[in-house]
Amino acid sequence: MNNRNKRLLLLVTLLVILIAVILVFFFGSRQEKIKHPSKAAGTVQTSKPVKEIQTKKITLFFLSDKDSLLHPEERKIPVSTLNDEARTLVEELIKGPRSNLISTIPENTRVRQVFVTADGTAYVDLTRGLLEANFYGSSGEMAVVYSIVDSLAFNFKRIRKVSLLVEGNEKETLGGHIDLSRPFLPDYSLVGR
Amino acid sequence: MHRYRALAALIAGLFLMGVVFPSSVLAKAGRKSAPTIVLSVEDLKEVTRLRVSSETELVFSIKKSDGSLTVSFRALSGLKLERRPFYSQLIKSIDLAKSPEAYLLIVRMKTENFSYSYLTRKNPFELVVDFKIKEEEKVLPEALPSSDQEKPSTQYAEPRGEVSKETSNQNLTDKKSVKTIVIDPGHGGLEAGARGNFGALEKNITLGVAQKLKEEIERGLKYRVLLTRDSDVAVPLDRRAAIANNNKADVFISIHANGSRRANARGSETYFLSLNATDEEARRLAYFENNSGELENQVVDREFDDLKLILWDMAQSAYLKQSSQLAEFVQTELNELLNTKNRGIKQAPFKVLSGAACPAVLVEVAFITNSEEERLLQSGDFQRRVAEGIYQGLTKFLQLYEKP
Repeated sequence: MNNRNKRLLLLVTLLVILIAVILVFFFGSRQEKIKHPSKAAGTVQTSKPVKEIQTKKITLFFLSDKDSLLHPEERKIPVSTLNDEARTLVEELIKGPRSNLISTIPENTRVRQVFVTADGTAYVDLTRGLLEANFYGSSGEMAVVYSIVDSLAFNFKRIRKVSLLVEGNEKETLGGHIDLSRPFLPDYSLVGR
Repeated sequence: MHRYRALAALIAGLFLMGVVFPSSVLAKAGRKSAPTIVLSVEDLKEVTRLRVSSETELVFSIKKSDGSLTVSFRALSGLKLERRPFYSQLIKSIDLAKSPEAYLLIVRMKTENFSYSYLTRKNPFELVVDFKIKEEEKVLPEALPSSDQEKPSTQYAEPRGEVSKETSNQNLTDKKSVKTIVIDPGHGGLEAGARGNFGALEKNITLGVAQKLKEEIERGLKYRVLLTRDSDVAVPLDRRAAIANNNKADVFISIHANGSRRANARGSETYFLSLNATDEEARRLAYFENNSGELENQVVDREFDDLKLILWDMAQSAYLKQSSQLAEFVQTELNELLNTKNRGIKQAPFKVLSGAACPAVLVEVAFITNSEEERLLQSGDFQRRVAEGIYQGLTKFLQLYEKP
């Protein structure tokens, strides 16, 4: 009786473990399947698994009507590699704010590439649309540069400084003012509360 | 079992070696690989004395060019410079640069008319250089008739930046008594700058204000004034600072009109340079790595563009404190005179300021992207008042340094 009981217990335990393993296997592999296509194409929204994409909260900095400082706006982006998350962040910056803040980067700008080197420098390579603006005085240029630099450095610990490129090349300035030839350290004195 | 014992012995051996070779030996080896030179500058009665000392013996040679003295060290294992702030009547700045075969210690002088003598000591190594102003030069300023000194010259710097020989010759006599102000009207040519809603272009406004400022300063009969451009032409940014440096400017003022996506952004601002200090050293070395061929020639060649040497150096970094004072003075005057909203003095990494080897500011007169201020900026009367304000601030700043 005692013996049989023990055997039964063992059997049940084994069964539970087996089920757990199977569950984990399926669950794990399913997530994998969802994550990859959404990262590659960004538009796989046909089926329900969308809910299961892991997201994280990031803070973007835009201009405000009230003062000349940058102001935060939060949103969620899918969790991915650092390079991809940084790219998504810059794309969101270009899309502009959802609240009544004011966007900084010219609308015609597209992201060519964003990559972070081992020493913590993020290279943000944008299309020439970045240079087409009639508001490039010192303030306009500062807003573009530091909305990108501060947003990246604020959200990603590994990014210490940011270098801006246009069509893959180093540019002297955007419109004759701020020096783009050196990487920028974040300047949070330009951020208001 | 034997194998394990051998392994243990090996590990123990390695450990022992670490103990036996004390870290000081390693450190010494490390130091030897890159000796540090320490500088001291002292104004003595007759001469200005520069001492260059190092723990390691150094082989060197000395060359004199117009406004500088270059000591090249054959240091195969590298060389470091310990920087200490100094002030001297004769020496303007000291920098260490690298060429393929040597390290160059470049001593820039405040005058071109100097002589030097040197001696060396051994153990520890010390090179002592004495600088002296040449006799005639000392006498000249006093002997000159005062009318000559007070009359500011009114020539313009050529926009392409070819510094004519006459200019630099004239400098020599003018330099001591008459200060040179270089005004930089922002943008020009195809590069129009920011644009207003009603079509005003930044490049035209900056030129208008700059020309009025020039008139204003010349009316005071105290200073020599140069413009980096006097018509609608493009001038590269580094060339603008170069014009100031080539003419030994005492102050550099860049005039701009601001732009923003915030339609209601308004007011005037005065900026001075901010640096991303971390990359300084790296970039300086990189420059030499890329331009090493030119450098030695430049130093020897009398015709060389003195400026290249000064420009990459982020010359402005030595003048940040004075530049912030100048900004403060100018901004205070602008606030009072214009009744525009005070946006205060600010710091930003401006390309045009980074190479200027003198106090330098950038004035954002008002916002061209604000319709109300756009109209103001186009009026000659407003431009004149701005020029007046900047002139007042400039005068106060210069008076600060004129006191004996």
